[in-house]
Amino acid sequence: MKFKSSLIVLLLVWSIMPLLWQLYTSFSTDQALVTPFAELSERWTLDHYRNVISSDPPFFMYLANSFFVGIISTLLTLFVALPAAYSISKLSRKTSNYVRVILVACALFPYVLLFLSLLELARTFSLGNNLIALALPYTALSQPLAVLLLSSAFVSLPSELDDAARVEGLSLIKRFRWIYIPLLSPAIASTAILIFLFSWNEYPIALTWISDNSKLTLPVAMARIAGSSIHSVPYGAYAAATVLGAIPLILLVIVFQKPIVSGLTSGAIKG
Amino acid sequence: MTLVLKSVGRKVGHNWIVKDLNFSVRQNECLVVVGPSGCGKSSTLRLIAGLDRCDHGSIKIDDRDITNLQPSERAIGMVFQSYALLPHLTVYENLELGLRVRGMRAEQRARRIQNILDIVQLSDRPNHLPSALSGGQRQRVALARALLRDPKVYLLDEPMSNLDAQLREKIRPELRSLILSQEKPTLYVTHDQNEALAMATKIAILNNGQIEQLDTPFNVYHNPQSLFVAQFLGRPQINCLKVRNNTIDAVRPENLTISDSGLPCRLLAREWLGNTQLLYLDSDEGELRMTIDPSFVCPERIFVQWDKSKVFHFDAKTGQRKSFH
Amino acid sequence: MILIALLLPSIIFLGIVFGFPLLSYLWLSLHANSVLTSFRSIFNGWANWNRFIHDYRYWQDFLQTIRFSVASVGIELLLGLIIALILHRPMKFRGWIRSSSLIPWALPTTVMALGWRWIFNSPFGPIDQFTTALGAQSLNILGNPSTAWIATVYSDVWKTTPFVALILLAGLQSIPADLYEACRLEGASASSCFRRITLPLLMPYIGLAAMFRLAQAFGVFDLIQVMTGGGPASSTESIALYAYLNALRFLDFGYGATIIIGSFILLSILVASCWFFVHLFNRKRSIMITK
Repeated sequence: MKFKSSLIVLLLVWSIMPLLWQLYTSFSTDQALVTPFAELSERWTLDHYRNVISSDPPFFMYLANSFFVGIISTLLTLFVALPAAYSISKLSRKTSNYVRVILVACALFPYVLLFLSLLELARTFSLGNNLIALALPYTALSQPLAVLLLSSAFVSLPSELDDAARVEGLSLIKRFRWIYIPLLSPAIASTAILIFLFSWNEYPIALTWISDNSKLTLPVAMARIAGSSIHSVPYGAYAAATVLGAIPLILLVIVFQKPIVSGLTSGAIKG
Repeated sequence: MTLVLKSVGRKVGHNWIVKDLNFSVRQNECLVVVGPSGCGKSSTLRLIAGLDRCDHGSIKIDDRDITNLQPSERAIGMVFQSYALLPHLTVYENLELGLRVRGMRAEQRARRIQNILDIVQLSDRPNHLPSALSGGQRQRVALARALLRDPKVYLLDEPMSNLDAQLREKIRPELRSLILSQEKPTLYVTHDQNEALAMATKIAILNNGQIEQLDTPFNVYHNPQSLFVAQFLGRPQINCLKVRNNTIDAVRPENLTISDSGLPCRLLAREWLGNTQLLYLDSDEGELRMTIDPSFVCPERIFVQWDKSKVFHFDAKTGQRKSFH
Repeated sequence: MILIALLLPSIIFLGIVFGFPLLSYLWLSLHANSVLTSFRSIFNGWANWNRFIHDYRYWQDFLQTIRFSVASVGIELLLGLIIALILHRPMKFRGWIRSSSLIPWALPTTVMALGWRWIFNSPFGPIDQFTTALGAQSLNILGNPSTAWIATVYSDVWKTTPFVALILLAGLQSIPADLYEACRLEGASASSCFRRITLPLLMPYIGLAAMFRLAQAFGVFDLIQVMTGGGPASSTESIALYAYLNALRFLDFGYGATIIIGSFILLSILVASCWFFVHLFNRKRSIMITK
């Protein structure tokens, strides 16, 4: 038992250590970072946070942008994926298997490789530098995961509920309103969180679609702070930004730990 | 009011899972459909409810052809095996949903629901969730929902199979009188033959998607028209004697008696069934089952005989009843 | 008919994002389209493909990507299995342990990639500070072509192991407990029960995780671009990064598209063979069981 708990402690240290280092960095003066073992009069500082918060555009703008894109793409994805998942659960076995194979293939595809064509689309339809437009590729890229997760949830619904609703004369929209959405809310919640996380973290498409400084999403903005040269990265300010950027996600993970895990695992069992 | 089925059939792939169903159910009648699992009894119900499409024949209520109508347009009330109550809605909300969809006004809904809750004796718990109810209460909510539709035909799909045996026996007479008091044609599907015999005014025995016999509960037991019916109804199962002249003679275990002469038998095993005792016997006619007074102490070797008039004769090839002697 | 209509929006989205790009890449790969042609597409037959086959840098990157993928996925599976076994038993603070092990997975790759760049920084990062304080030489992990890729593998392992562990945990929880009880009743040791029950029944999950992770690792981009930019001396450059550079830095769209299609074909072969092996294994096992 001792052995096991020490393994767990090791695991926790391993996964949190880099973040703690960022936390330490963010409160340290540049002097302290360069000469950690020297005697210094000024070791701790809040300057990095001040810089990050007072920069132009303010750092919270990026958080707000990411949040906005995340919400829009989550809602849009659910709106498109829920009917599709229902449809797959009702199609004949052969057809639905066929659709599932396509979805799995899409889910396996490294979407990074799509950036060139997507950029072309963005140029043709002038979708660049528009956060709502950015939600469109995110919605599309989330389809495989969302439809697979939701359709397995639809399959698990007792078919007699559907039969009873048909006898009572509930239309499809009313069935969604009264039966599917309330009964599938756990699966919908975990799907939604996974989509939100994906769009919050997405980098290559945001990198190529958004160039306007005030519209950057968090991952791109962070990469920009880093600048181009390896040696001139303002690590103190960067660490402060990391800490500020990580707080909402950490809260999200702590609050929604259960639905995230159930979403991931049911996705695996499905596959 | 009468429900009439004319040569109704349904095909899945190349197989007819239900074929050539012809029967009618009048008001005051409760037709119980029984049969082994996979015989098509639930399919029959689903065809009448409109949940599955008919591939052949027609279904009528009185003179109205409902064969191609949507389930909600058929004026049927259905009780499902799992009751199909929405777990996130209260009893009241579950009942209200259908009325609301039909556009009934709020105060009228409230009056109707109160009325029905009184009938099924649930007026004290309209705000309970289904999970807070017992199995019997849930069944009554499902029944109430069917009653609320004020249907022309009632369809019940194994409504007791989720209840334990004791409760089932307690509810049976209540349910029967409630259904019959509605004075509507009722179709009741079950796999339990005791339940079938208890609930029915008429029984249809289904096998491989076709009706083997449709008759009164008394007749299907005492006057079976086919070997399948004779074997399906009655536990312990009927004894089939050796095939002679392309004929199978069958006699029920309770009609065997012990005597000084007759068929010589050897005792294989015995089981006490409480009010009676079941003997397993080996004889020249094959293995026989016989019920007898539980206090009887059976010797190793006995002679058994039976009343000739209690023997049914079946054609060995077709399984149909032969009417000679 | 209604069912098809409900499915359609989703399919259209997929078609635009997956179908259209693949077709347009295929078309582009047969054309010259770069600064030299003023970004007009001019048909040039197999020229791009010929260049692709003889592109030393691409194949170098291909090998690097394979090295990165196999190393990270291998380590992730091993560590993930160990973590899943630890987390499988009920324990105190299970929710908190799960949450904190999910954090690396949930954070944006780019964000932590820079964090790692700082940790591996020479001479100011903690690792170099530590080694120099001990009197050893500065390691300069990211500055050395032979060690930089190990740092990228490490940060990928750090990020995705929780994900792998969760999938394997789901697999462990799907194994009925009475199988273990029967195994222990026969007097078998814990390790032999693990080999005879856990591992074979977990194999589909391991195969699944391996397949998904290999496909993902093969397309690695964010991590490399931010952490090392592909350097030093292109030693950590992945094929996705190379395709990106060709298209957006060298502005050679025709050849960039060729690289993408070529990589897609290579990846399909990899995934198909992976899938084939998983199925071969499963079949063999079912034959063993029926015997």
